[in-house]
Amino acid sequence: MATLSLQHIDKIYDNNVQAVYDFNLDVKDGELIVLVGPSGCGKSTTLRMVAGLEDISNGKLILDGKDITNAPAKDRDMAMVFQSYALYGHMTIYENMAFSLTLRKENPNVIHKKVLAAAEVLGLTSQLNKKPAQLSGGQRQRVAMGRSIVRNPKVFLFDEPLSNLDAKLRGATRREILLLHKRLQATMMYVTHDQTEALTLADRIVCMSMGHVQQVGTPLELYDSPANIFVASFIGLPPMNFFDTVVQGDKLIGEGFEVSLTPEEKHTVAAYQGKQIVLGVRPENIVLGNDVPATVTMNENLGMNTLVHGNIGNTGVKVTAKLKGWTDYKNGDTASFTFDRKHFFDKETTQAIRGGEL
Amino acid sequence: MTTQDERFITRDRMRFIKNSQSSNLCYLGILFDVLYFVNIYRSDVGTYYYNVSIGISIVYNLIFLLAAFLASEGVKNYKKSYSYALFVIGAIQFARIFYIPMKAHSATTVVNDVAVKVMGDGQFMKVVAYLALSGAALLIAGFINMKKCNELEEHLKSIGEQAA
Repeated sequence: MATLSLQHIDKIYDNNVQAVYDFNLDVKDGELIVLVGPSGCGKSTTLRMVAGLEDISNGKLILDGKDITNAPAKDRDMAMVFQSYALYGHMTIYENMAFSLTLRKENPNVIHKKVLAAAEVLGLTSQLNKKPAQLSGGQRQRVAMGRSIVRNPKVFLFDEPLSNLDAKLRGATRREILLLHKRLQATMMYVTHDQTEALTLADRIVCMSMGHVQQVGTPLELYDSPANIFVASFIGLPPMNFFDTVVQGDKLIGEGFEVSLTPEEKHTVAAYQGKQIVLGVRPENIVLGNDVPATVTMNENLGMNTLVHGNIGNTGVKVTAKLKGWTDYKNGDTASFTFDRKHFFDKETTQAIRGGEL
Repeated sequence: MTTQDERFITRDRMRFIKNSQSSNLCYLGILFDVLYFVNIYRSDVGTYYYNVSIGISIVYNLIFLLAAFLASEGVKNYKKSYSYALFVIGAIQFARIFYIPMKAHSATTVVNDVAVKVMGDGQFMKVVAYLALSGAALLIAGFINMKKCNELEEHLKSIGEQAA
Protein backbone atom coordinates (compact mmCIF):
# COMPACT_ATOMS: atom_id res chain seq x y z
CA MET A 1 0.00 0.00 0.00
CA ALA A 2 1.42 3.33 -1.02
CA THR A 3 0.80 6.93 -1.93
CA LEU A 4 2.63 8.42 -4.84
CA SER A 5 3.15 12.07 -5.60
CA LEU A 6 4.41 13.45 -8.90
CA GLN A 7 5.41 17.08 -8.48
CA HIS A 8 6.16 19.42 -11.40
CA ILE A 9 7.70 16.65 -13.44
CA ASP A 10 9.26 17.45 -16.82
CA LYS A 11 10.93 15.14 -19.28
CA ILE A 12 13.41 16.75 -21.64
CA TYR A 13 15.46 14.43 -23.86
CA ASP A 14 19.08 15.08 -24.77
CA ASN A 15 18.03 16.47 -28.15
CA ASN A 16 15.98 19.11 -26.28
CA VAL A 17 12.65 17.52 -27.20
CA GLN A 18 10.30 17.92 -24.25
CA ALA A 19 7.96 14.96 -23.85
CA VAL A 20 6.27 15.87 -20.55
CA TYR A 21 5.49 19.33 -19.19
CA ASP A 22 4.90 20.12 -15.51
CA PHE A 23 3.11 16.90 -14.58
CA ASN A 24 1.42 17.05 -11.17
CA LEU A 25 -0.53 14.24 -9.61
CA ASP A 26 -1.19 12.80 -6.16
CA VAL A 27 -2.08 9.12 -6.30
CA LYS A 28 -3.95 7.98 -3.21
CA ASP A 29 -3.36 4.69 -1.46
CA GLY A 30 -5.11 1.88 -3.32
CA GLU A 31 -6.15 4.12 -6.17
CA LEU A 32 -6.16 3.02 -9.82
CA ILE A 33 -5.03 5.93 -11.97
CA VAL A 34 -5.29 5.63 -15.74
CA LEU A 35 -3.15 7.82 -18.00
CA VAL A 36 -4.93 8.15 -21.30
CA GLY A 37 -4.17 10.01 -24.48
CA PRO A 38 -3.20 9.55 -28.10
CA SER A 39 0.14 8.07 -29.17
CA GLY A 40 3.04 10.37 -28.39
CA CYS A 41 1.25 12.34 -25.67
CA GLY A 42 3.83 11.41 -23.01
CA LYS A 43 1.80 8.93 -20.96
CA SER A 44 4.22 6.02 -21.32
CA THR A 45 7.18 8.33 -20.73
CA THR A 46 5.55 9.46 -17.49
CA LEU A 47 5.02 5.87 -16.41
CA ARG A 48 8.60 4.97 -17.29
CA MET A 49 9.82 7.92 -15.21
CA VAL A 50 7.78 6.63 -12.28
CA ALA A 51 9.25 3.16 -12.80
CA GLY A 52 12.78 4.55 -12.95
CA LEU A 53 13.34 3.47 -16.55
CA GLU A 54 13.69 7.11 -17.64
CA ASP A 55 15.41 9.94 -15.80
CA ILE A 56 13.25 12.74 -14.47
CA SER A 57 14.53 16.03 -15.95
CA ASN A 58 12.81 18.32 -13.42
CA GLY A 59 10.47 17.81 -10.52
CA LYS A 60 10.11 15.32 -7.72
CA LEU A 61 8.70 11.85 -7.31
CA ILE A 62 7.61 11.00 -3.78
CA LEU A 63 6.63 7.49 -2.69
CA ASP A 64 5.17 7.20 0.80
CA GLY A 65 6.77 10.51 1.75
CA LYS A 66 10.21 9.44 0.52
CA ASP A 67 11.88 11.22 -2.37
CA ILE A 68 12.70 8.56 -4.97
CA THR A 69 13.34 10.94 -7.89
CA ASN A 70 16.85 9.64 -8.44
CA ALA A 71 16.47 6.16 -6.94
CA PRO A 72 17.35 3.30 -9.31
CA ALA A 73 14.45 1.23 -10.65
CA LYS A 74 15.33 -1.81 -8.53
CA ASP A 75 15.04 0.18 -5.30
CA ARG A 76 11.62 1.69 -6.01
CA ASP A 77 9.54 -1.33 -5.02
CA MET A 78 7.34 -1.02 -8.09
CA ALA A 79 6.39 -3.71 -10.56
CA MET A 80 5.71 -3.03 -14.21
CA VAL A 81 3.61 -5.05 -16.62
CA PHE A 82 4.50 -4.48 -20.27
CA GLN A 83 2.45 -4.71 -23.44
CA SER A 84 4.74 -7.45 -24.76
CA TYR A 85 4.44 -9.56 -21.54
CA ALA A 86 8.27 -9.94 -21.41
CA LEU A 87 8.09 -13.60 -20.34
CA TYR A 88 11.00 -16.01 -20.65
CA GLY A 89 10.03 -18.53 -23.32
CA HIS A 90 12.31 -21.31 -22.07
CA MET A 91 10.93 -21.18 -18.52
CA THR A 92 7.66 -22.63 -17.29
CA ILE A 93 4.96 -20.32 -15.97
CA TYR A 94 5.97 -21.27 -12.43
CA GLU A 95 9.61 -20.41 -13.12
CA ASN A 96 8.64 -17.15 -14.82
CA MET A 97 6.57 -16.10 -11.83
CA ALA A 98 9.25 -17.15 -9.36
CA PHE A 99 12.12 -15.61 -11.30
CA SER A 100 12.35 -12.19 -9.67
CA LEU A 101 12.20 -13.71 -6.19
CA THR A 102 14.80 -16.31 -7.10
CA LEU A 103 17.11 -13.50 -8.18
CA ARG A 104 16.60 -11.91 -4.78
CA LYS A 105 17.65 -15.24 -3.26
CA GLU A 106 14.45 -15.61 -1.26
CA ASN A 107 13.74 -18.90 0.51
CA PRO A 108 12.48 -21.36 -2.17
CA ASN A 109 9.60 -22.46 0.06
CA VAL A 110 8.48 -18.86 0.56
CA ILE A 111 8.71 -18.31 -3.21
CA HIS A 112 6.60 -21.42 -3.74
CA LYS A 113 3.87 -20.17 -1.43
CA LYS A 114 3.81 -16.75 -3.10
CA VAL A 115 3.70 -18.18 -6.61
CA LEU A 116 0.87 -20.56 -5.74
CA ALA A 117 -1.09 -17.77 -4.07
CA ALA A 118 -0.67 -15.48 -7.10
CA ALA A 119 -1.56 -18.29 -9.50
CA GLU A 120 -4.70 -18.96 -7.48
CA VAL A 121 -5.73 -15.28 -7.67
CA LEU A 122 -5.15 -15.23 -11.42
CA GLY A 123 -6.63 -18.65 -12.19
CA LEU A 124 -3.31 -19.98 -13.45
CA THR A 125 -2.87 -22.93 -11.10
CA SER A 126 -3.41 -25.53 -13.81
CA GLN A 127 -1.01 -23.76 -16.19
CA LEU A 128 2.05 -23.58 -13.95
CA ASN A 129 3.95 -26.39 -15.69
CA LYS A 130 3.36 -25.01 -19.18
CA LYS A 131 5.62 -22.78 -21.23
CA PRO A 132 4.43 -19.30 -22.28
CA ALA A 133 4.07 -20.42 -25.91
CA GLN A 134 1.38 -22.90 -24.81
CA LEU A 135 -0.82 -20.12 -23.37
CA SER A 136 -3.18 -17.64 -24.99
CA GLY A 137 -2.38 -13.93 -25.06
CA GLY A 138 -4.72 -13.24 -22.16
CA GLN A 139 -3.17 -15.98 -20.06
CA ARG A 140 0.32 -14.72 -20.84
CA GLN A 141 -0.68 -11.25 -19.72
CA ARG A 142 -2.01 -12.79 -16.51
CA VAL A 143 1.35 -14.48 -16.00
CA ALA A 144 3.03 -11.10 -16.44
CA MET A 145 0.69 -9.72 -13.79
CA GLY A 146 1.39 -12.72 -11.58
CA ARG A 147 5.09 -12.02 -11.80
CA SER A 148 4.34 -8.57 -10.42
CA ILE A 149 1.98 -9.81 -7.72
CA VAL A 150 4.50 -12.24 -6.20
CA ARG A 151 6.83 -9.33 -5.56
CA ASN A 152 4.13 -7.61 -3.52
CA PRO A 153 5.27 -4.18 -4.72
CA LYS A 154 4.06 -0.88 -3.37
CA VAL A 155 2.88 0.28 -6.78
CA PHE A 156 1.81 -1.65 -9.89
CA LEU A 157 2.53 -0.01 -13.24
CA PHE A 158 0.80 -1.19 -16.41
CA ASP A 159 2.01 -0.01 -19.82
CA GLU A 160 -0.77 -0.73 -22.33
CA PRO A 161 -1.05 -4.34 -21.13
CA LEU A 162 -4.04 -5.21 -23.30
CA SER A 163 -2.91 -3.79 -26.62
CA ASN A 164 -1.73 -7.14 -27.99
CA LEU A 165 -5.02 -8.90 -27.31
CA ASP A 166 -8.02 -9.26 -29.57
CA ALA A 167 -11.20 -7.37 -28.69
CA LYS A 168 -12.93 -10.22 -26.85
CA LEU A 169 -9.89 -11.16 -24.81
CA ARG A 170 -9.21 -7.51 -24.09
CA GLY A 171 -12.63 -7.13 -22.51
CA ALA A 172 -12.20 -10.27 -20.40
CA THR A 173 -8.68 -9.37 -19.25
CA ARG A 174 -9.81 -5.83 -18.47
CA ARG A 175 -12.43 -7.20 -16.13
CA GLU A 176 -9.80 -9.44 -14.54
CA ILE A 177 -7.55 -6.45 -13.89
CA LEU A 178 -10.46 -4.64 -12.30
CA LEU A 179 -11.23 -7.62 -10.06
CA LEU A 180 -7.56 -7.93 -9.23
CA HIS A 181 -7.44 -4.30 -8.17
CA LYS A 182 -10.50 -4.75 -5.99
CA ARG A 183 -8.95 -7.85 -4.45
CA LEU A 184 -5.46 -6.49 -3.86
CA GLN A 185 -6.50 -2.92 -3.10
CA ALA A 186 -3.12 -1.92 -4.50
CA THR A 187 -1.99 1.42 -5.85
CA MET A 188 -1.88 1.15 -9.62
CA MET A 189 -0.96 3.36 -12.55
CA TYR A 190 -2.21 2.20 -15.91
CA VAL A 191 -1.37 3.62 -19.33
CA THR A 192 -3.66 3.17 -22.30
CA HIS A 193 -4.76 4.95 -25.44
CA ASP A 194 -8.10 3.14 -25.26
CA GLN A 195 -10.73 5.35 -23.66
CA THR A 196 -12.99 2.37 -22.95
CA GLU A 197 -10.26 0.86 -20.78
CA ALA A 198 -9.76 4.20 -19.11
CA LEU A 199 -13.44 4.74 -18.36
CA THR A 200 -14.08 1.22 -17.08
CA LEU A 201 -10.94 0.74 -14.99
CA ALA A 202 -10.04 4.08 -13.50
CA ASP A 203 -10.77 5.55 -10.13
CA ARG A 204 -9.38 8.71 -11.72
CA ILE A 205 -8.24 9.43 -15.26
CA VAL A 206 -5.39 11.68 -16.32
CA CYS A 207 -6.03 12.77 -19.89
CA MET A 208 -2.87 13.91 -21.69
CA SER A 209 -2.05 15.57 -24.98
CA MET A 210 1.31 16.72 -26.36
CA GLY A 211 2.98 16.18 -23.00
CA HIS A 212 0.49 18.32 -21.09
CA VAL A 213 -2.11 17.13 -18.61
CA GLN A 214 -5.46 18.20 -20.02
CA GLN A 215 -7.71 17.06 -17.18
CA VAL A 216 -7.61 14.91 -14.08
CA GLY A 217 -10.87 13.54 -12.75
CA THR A 218 -13.19 10.62 -12.32
CA PRO A 219 -14.40 8.90 -15.48
CA LEU A 220 -17.79 10.56 -15.06
CA GLU A 221 -16.22 14.00 -14.65
CA LEU A 222 -14.24 13.59 -17.85
CA TYR A 223 -17.25 12.30 -19.75
CA ASP A 224 -19.79 14.71 -18.32
CA SER A 225 -17.73 17.85 -17.78
CA PRO A 226 -14.75 17.78 -20.13
CA ALA A 227 -12.32 20.58 -19.41
CA ASN A 228 -11.67 21.42 -23.04
CA ILE A 229 -12.32 20.42 -26.62
CA PHE A 230 -9.48 17.88 -26.62
CA VAL A 231 -10.87 15.94 -23.64
CA ALA A 232 -14.40 16.21 -25.02
CA SER A 233 -13.31 14.79 -28.35
CA PHE A 234 -11.05 12.10 -26.88
CA ILE A 235 -13.43 10.68 -24.29
CA GLY A 236 -16.60 9.14 -25.67
CA LEU A 237 -17.25 6.88 -28.61
CA PRO A 238 -18.28 7.93 -31.20
CA PRO A 239 -16.62 11.25 -30.42
CA MET A 240 -18.50 14.42 -29.57
CA ASN A 241 -19.89 16.56 -32.42
CA PHE A 242 -18.59 20.12 -32.53
CA PHE A 243 -20.31 23.07 -34.20
CA ASP A 244 -19.21 26.68 -34.58
CA THR A 245 -22.08 28.81 -33.32
CA VAL A 246 -22.86 32.37 -32.28
CA VAL A 247 -24.77 33.19 -29.08
CA GLN A 248 -27.75 35.42 -29.88
CA GLY A 249 -30.18 36.02 -27.03
CA ASP A 250 -31.48 32.65 -25.93
CA LYS A 251 -30.43 30.98 -29.16
CA LEU A 252 -27.33 29.46 -30.62
CA ILE A 253 -27.02 30.11 -34.33
CA GLY A 254 -24.95 27.60 -36.27
CA GLU A 255 -24.43 26.97 -39.95
CA GLY A 256 -27.72 25.53 -41.18
CA PHE A 257 -29.40 25.34 -37.78
CA GLU A 258 -30.35 27.17 -34.62
CA VAL A 259 -31.11 25.77 -31.20
CA SER A 260 -32.76 27.28 -28.15
CA LEU A 261 -30.93 27.58 -24.85
CA THR A 262 -32.47 26.67 -21.50
CA PRO A 263 -32.23 29.38 -18.80
CA GLU A 264 -29.27 27.53 -17.24
CA GLU A 265 -27.50 27.24 -20.58
CA LYS A 266 -28.19 30.90 -21.31
CA HIS A 267 -26.65 31.81 -17.99
CA THR A 268 -23.60 29.65 -18.73
CA VAL A 269 -22.86 31.46 -21.99
CA ALA A 270 -24.02 34.89 -20.80
CA ALA A 271 -20.54 36.36 -21.18
CA TYR A 272 -20.44 35.29 -24.82
CA GLN A 273 -23.50 37.20 -26.13
CA GLY A 274 -22.88 37.98 -29.81
CA LYS A 275 -19.64 36.00 -29.80
CA GLN A 276 -18.63 32.77 -31.38
CA ILE A 277 -18.43 29.65 -29.23
CA VAL A 278 -18.06 25.95 -29.99
CA LEU A 279 -21.10 23.84 -29.25
CA GLY A 280 -20.35 20.23 -28.34
CA VAL A 281 -23.00 17.53 -28.42
CA ARG A 282 -22.38 13.85 -27.79
CA PRO A 283 -23.97 11.53 -30.38
CA GLU A 284 -25.92 9.84 -27.58
CA ASN A 285 -27.37 13.23 -26.58
CA ILE A 286 -28.97 13.69 -29.99
CA VAL A 287 -32.55 12.51 -30.41
CA LEU A 288 -35.06 12.76 -33.20
CA GLY A 289 -36.76 16.19 -33.04
CA ASN A 290 -37.33 19.37 -35.00
CA ASP A 291 -34.34 21.67 -34.34
CA VAL A 292 -31.57 20.47 -36.60
CA PRO A 293 -32.34 19.19 -40.09
CA ALA A 294 -29.77 16.79 -41.55
CA THR A 295 -29.20 14.90 -44.76
CA VAL A 296 -28.29 11.33 -43.94
CA THR A 297 -25.05 10.05 -45.46
CA MET A 298 -24.75 6.75 -43.63
CA ASN A 299 -26.88 4.53 -41.38
CA GLU A 300 -24.96 2.05 -39.16
CA ASN A 301 -27.14 -0.36 -37.23
CA LEU A 302 -25.39 -1.70 -34.15
CA GLY A 303 -28.25 -3.75 -32.74
CA MET A 304 -29.35 -1.80 -29.69
CA ASN A 305 -28.42 1.52 -31.29
CA THR A 306 -27.99 3.04 -34.70
CA LEU A 307 -25.34 5.52 -35.69
CA VAL A 308 -26.78 8.01 -38.14
CA HIS A 309 -24.19 10.14 -39.93
CA GLY A 310 -25.22 13.16 -41.92
CA ASN A 311 -24.64 16.75 -42.98
CA ILE A 312 -26.59 19.55 -41.35
CA GLY A 313 -29.04 21.00 -43.90
CA ASN A 314 -27.26 21.42 -47.17
CA THR A 315 -24.00 22.48 -45.53
CA GLY A 316 -20.91 20.37 -45.16
CA VAL A 317 -21.17 20.44 -41.35
CA LYS A 318 -21.07 16.84 -40.22
CA VAL A 319 -23.18 15.39 -37.43
CA THR A 320 -23.32 11.90 -35.93
CA ALA A 321 -26.28 10.77 -33.84
CA LYS A 322 -26.52 7.62 -31.77
CA LEU A 323 -30.20 6.79 -31.84
CA LYS A 324 -31.86 4.14 -29.72
CA GLY A 325 -33.12 1.07 -31.54
CA TRP A 326 -33.00 0.20 -35.21
CA THR A 327 -33.44 2.84 -37.92
CA ASP A 328 -33.41 2.37 -41.64
CA TYR A 329 -32.35 5.68 -43.17
CA LYS A 330 -31.11 5.62 -46.74
CA ASN A 331 -28.48 7.90 -48.19
CA GLY A 332 -30.02 11.28 -48.95
CA ASP A 333 -32.95 10.84 -46.52
CA THR A 334 -33.72 13.77 -44.30
CA ALA A 335 -33.67 13.42 -40.52
CA SER A 336 -34.34 16.07 -37.94
CA PHE A 337 -32.62 16.12 -34.58
CA THR A 338 -32.83 17.84 -31.21
CA PHE A 339 -29.81 18.30 -28.95
CA ASP A 340 -30.58 16.97 -25.46
CA ARG A 341 -27.48 18.00 -23.58
CA LYS A 342 -25.01 20.62 -24.72
CA HIS A 343 -21.39 21.43 -23.91
CA PHE A 344 -19.94 24.89 -24.60
CA PHE A 345 -16.32 25.73 -25.36
CA ASP A 346 -14.48 28.99 -25.83
CA LYS A 347 -13.47 29.17 -29.50
CA GLU A 348 -10.17 30.90 -28.73
CA THR A 349 -8.92 28.96 -25.71
CA THR A 350 -10.83 25.69 -26.44
CA GLN A 351 -11.59 25.56 -22.68
CA ALA A 352 -15.04 24.59 -21.46
CA ILE A 353 -17.40 27.44 -20.62
CA ARG A 354 -18.68 26.74 -17.15
CA GLY A 355 -20.49 30.00 -16.39
CA GLY A 356 -21.07 31.33 -12.88
CA GLU A 357 -23.63 30.58 -10.20
CA LEU A 358 -27.25 31.18 -11.14
CA MET B 1 6.12 -22.34 9.48
CA THR B 2 6.48 -25.68 11.24
CA THR B 3 8.97 -28.33 10.10
CA GLN B 4 6.03 -30.37 8.80
CA ASP B 5 4.85 -27.41 6.70
CA GLU B 6 8.35 -26.92 5.38
CA ARG B 7 8.55 -30.58 4.40
CA PHE B 8 5.19 -30.42 2.71
CA ILE B 9 6.16 -27.31 0.71
CA THR B 10 9.54 -28.78 -0.22
CA ARG B 11 7.76 -31.80 -1.63
CA ASP B 12 5.05 -29.71 -3.24
CA ARG B 13 7.70 -27.69 -5.05
CA MET B 14 8.67 -30.85 -6.91
CA ARG B 15 5.42 -30.53 -8.87
CA PHE B 16 6.84 -27.47 -10.60
CA ILE B 17 10.61 -27.58 -10.18
CA LYS B 18 12.63 -29.91 -12.37
CA ASN B 19 14.98 -32.49 -10.89
CA SER B 20 18.07 -30.56 -11.86
CA GLN B 21 20.19 -32.32 -9.24
CA SER B 22 19.93 -35.69 -11.00
CA SER B 23 20.11 -34.10 -14.40
CA ASN B 24 23.29 -32.19 -13.56
CA LEU B 25 24.86 -35.35 -12.17
CA CYS B 26 24.13 -37.03 -15.52
CA TYR B 27 25.94 -34.21 -17.31
CA LEU B 28 28.83 -34.71 -14.91
CA GLY B 29 28.83 -38.42 -15.78
CA ILE B 30 28.98 -37.51 -19.46
CA LEU B 31 31.83 -35.07 -18.85
CA PHE B 32 33.95 -37.67 -17.03
CA ASP B 33 33.25 -40.20 -19.75
CA VAL B 34 34.47 -37.76 -22.39
CA LEU B 35 37.61 -37.12 -20.33
CA TYR B 36 38.13 -40.88 -20.10
CA PHE B 37 37.72 -41.31 -23.82
CA VAL B 38 40.15 -38.57 -24.84
CA ASN B 39 42.74 -40.00 -22.43
CA ILE B 40 42.50 -43.71 -23.08
CA TYR B 41 44.30 -44.12 -26.42
CA ARG B 42 47.99 -43.29 -26.68
CA SER B 43 49.46 -42.85 -30.14
CA ASP B 44 52.99 -44.14 -29.44
CA VAL B 45 52.22 -47.75 -28.59
CA GLY B 46 52.29 -49.15 -32.11
CA THR B 47 49.31 -51.22 -33.20
CA TYR B 48 48.26 -52.43 -29.77
CA TYR B 49 44.79 -50.90 -29.97
CA TYR B 50 44.23 -51.79 -33.65
CA ASN B 51 41.67 -54.56 -33.17
CA VAL B 52 37.93 -55.01 -32.86
CA SER B 53 37.83 -53.61 -29.33
CA ILE B 54 38.59 -50.07 -30.52
CA GLY B 55 35.53 -50.16 -32.76
CA ILE B 56 33.36 -51.60 -29.99
CA SER B 57 34.70 -48.99 -27.60
CA ILE B 58 33.86 -46.11 -29.95
CA VAL B 59 30.38 -47.44 -30.75
CA TYR B 60 29.64 -48.10 -27.08
CA ASN B 61 30.80 -44.64 -26.16
CA LEU B 62 28.40 -43.10 -28.67
CA ILE B 63 25.56 -45.22 -27.27
CA PHE B 64 26.58 -44.21 -23.76
CA LEU B 65 26.53 -40.50 -24.60
CA LEU B 66 23.08 -40.79 -26.15
CA ALA B 67 21.67 -42.88 -23.31
CA ALA B 68 23.12 -40.65 -20.61
CA PHE B 69 21.79 -37.53 -22.30
CA LEU B 70 18.32 -39.05 -22.70
CA ALA B 71 18.40 -40.13 -19.09
CA SER B 72 19.39 -36.63 -18.00
CA GLU B 73 16.25 -35.30 -19.71
CA GLY B 74 14.12 -38.10 -18.28
CA VAL B 75 15.19 -37.64 -14.68
CA LYS B 76 14.70 -33.90 -15.04
CA ASN B 77 10.99 -34.68 -15.31
CA TYR B 78 10.94 -37.26 -12.50
CA LYS B 79 10.64 -40.31 -14.79
CA LYS B 80 11.38 -43.29 -12.59
CA SER B 81 12.29 -45.69 -15.43
CA TYR B 82 15.31 -43.55 -16.29
CA SER B 83 16.74 -44.36 -12.85
CA TYR B 84 17.01 -47.99 -13.91
CA ALA B 85 18.71 -46.94 -17.13
CA LEU B 86 21.17 -44.89 -15.07
CA PHE B 87 21.88 -47.86 -12.78
CA VAL B 88 22.72 -49.98 -15.83
CA ILE B 89 24.97 -47.48 -17.65
CA GLY B 90 26.53 -46.45 -14.32
CA ALA B 91 27.41 -50.05 -13.52
CA ILE B 92 28.79 -50.55 -17.04
CA GLN B 93 31.12 -47.59 -16.50
CA PHE B 94 32.67 -49.48 -13.58
CA ALA B 95 32.81 -52.68 -15.64
CA ARG B 96 34.67 -50.83 -18.40
CA ILE B 97 37.60 -50.35 -16.02
CA PHE B 98 38.27 -54.08 -16.28
CA TYR B 99 38.18 -54.10 -20.06
CA ILE B 100 40.49 -51.73 -22.00
CA PRO B 101 42.24 -49.89 -19.12
CA MET B 102 43.05 -52.98 -17.05
CA LYS B 103 44.18 -55.01 -20.06
CA ALA B 104 46.27 -52.16 -21.47
CA HIS B 105 47.85 -51.53 -18.06
CA SER B 106 49.14 -55.08 -17.82
CA ALA B 107 50.23 -55.32 -21.48
CA THR B 108 53.47 -54.43 -23.22
CA THR B 109 54.05 -53.91 -26.93
CA VAL B 110 57.23 -53.70 -29.05
CA VAL B 111 57.84 -50.44 -30.86
CA ASN B 112 61.12 -50.07 -32.81
CA ASP B 113 62.47 -53.15 -31.06
CA VAL B 114 61.81 -51.61 -27.70
CA ALA B 115 59.31 -53.09 -25.25
CA VAL B 116 56.88 -50.38 -24.19
CA LYS B 117 54.25 -50.54 -21.45
CA VAL B 118 50.96 -49.80 -23.22
CA MET B 119 49.48 -47.88 -20.28
CA GLY B 120 51.61 -46.40 -17.57
CA ASP B 121 50.51 -46.16 -13.94
CA GLY B 122 49.73 -42.45 -14.23
CA GLN B 123 47.50 -42.81 -17.26
CA PHE B 124 45.86 -45.88 -15.75
CA MET B 125 44.99 -44.09 -12.51
CA LYS B 126 43.62 -41.18 -14.48
CA VAL B 127 41.32 -43.16 -16.78
CA VAL B 128 40.15 -45.39 -13.94
CA ALA B 129 39.29 -42.31 -11.92
CA TYR B 130 37.36 -40.80 -14.84
CA LEU B 131 35.35 -43.96 -15.40
CA ALA B 132 34.70 -44.44 -11.70
CA LEU B 133 33.61 -40.82 -11.27
CA SER B 134 31.39 -41.07 -14.34
CA GLY B 135 29.80 -44.28 -13.05
CA ALA B 136 29.38 -42.88 -9.55
CA ALA B 137 27.74 -39.69 -10.83
CA LEU B 138 25.25 -41.73 -12.87
CA LEU B 139 24.45 -44.10 -10.02
CA ILE B 140 23.94 -41.24 -7.57
CA ALA B 141 21.76 -39.45 -10.16
CA GLY B 142 19.67 -42.62 -10.46
CA PHE B 143 19.32 -43.02 -6.69
CA ILE B 144 18.37 -39.39 -6.15
CA ASN B 145 15.83 -39.55 -8.94
CA MET B 146 14.35 -42.76 -7.55
CA LYS B 147 14.01 -41.21 -4.09
CA LYS B 148 12.47 -38.02 -5.43
CA CYS B 149 10.07 -39.92 -7.69
CA ASN B 150 8.84 -41.93 -4.71
CA GLU B 151 8.43 -38.78 -2.62
CA LEU B 152 6.59 -37.02 -5.41
CA GLU B 153 4.30 -40.01 -6.00
CA GLU B 154 3.49 -40.15 -2.32
CA HIS B 155 2.89 -36.40 -2.21
CA LEU B 156 0.64 -36.42 -5.25
CA LYS B 157 -1.32 -39.28 -3.74
CA SER B 158 -1.74 -37.29 -0.52
CA ILE B 159 -3.10 -34.24 -2.34
CA GLY B 160 -5.20 -36.35 -4.69
CA GLU B 161 -3.42 -35.59 -7.95
CA GLN B 162 -2.33 -37.98 -10.65
CA ALA B 163 1.39 -38.50 -11.16
CA ALA B 164 2.57 -37.36 -14.57
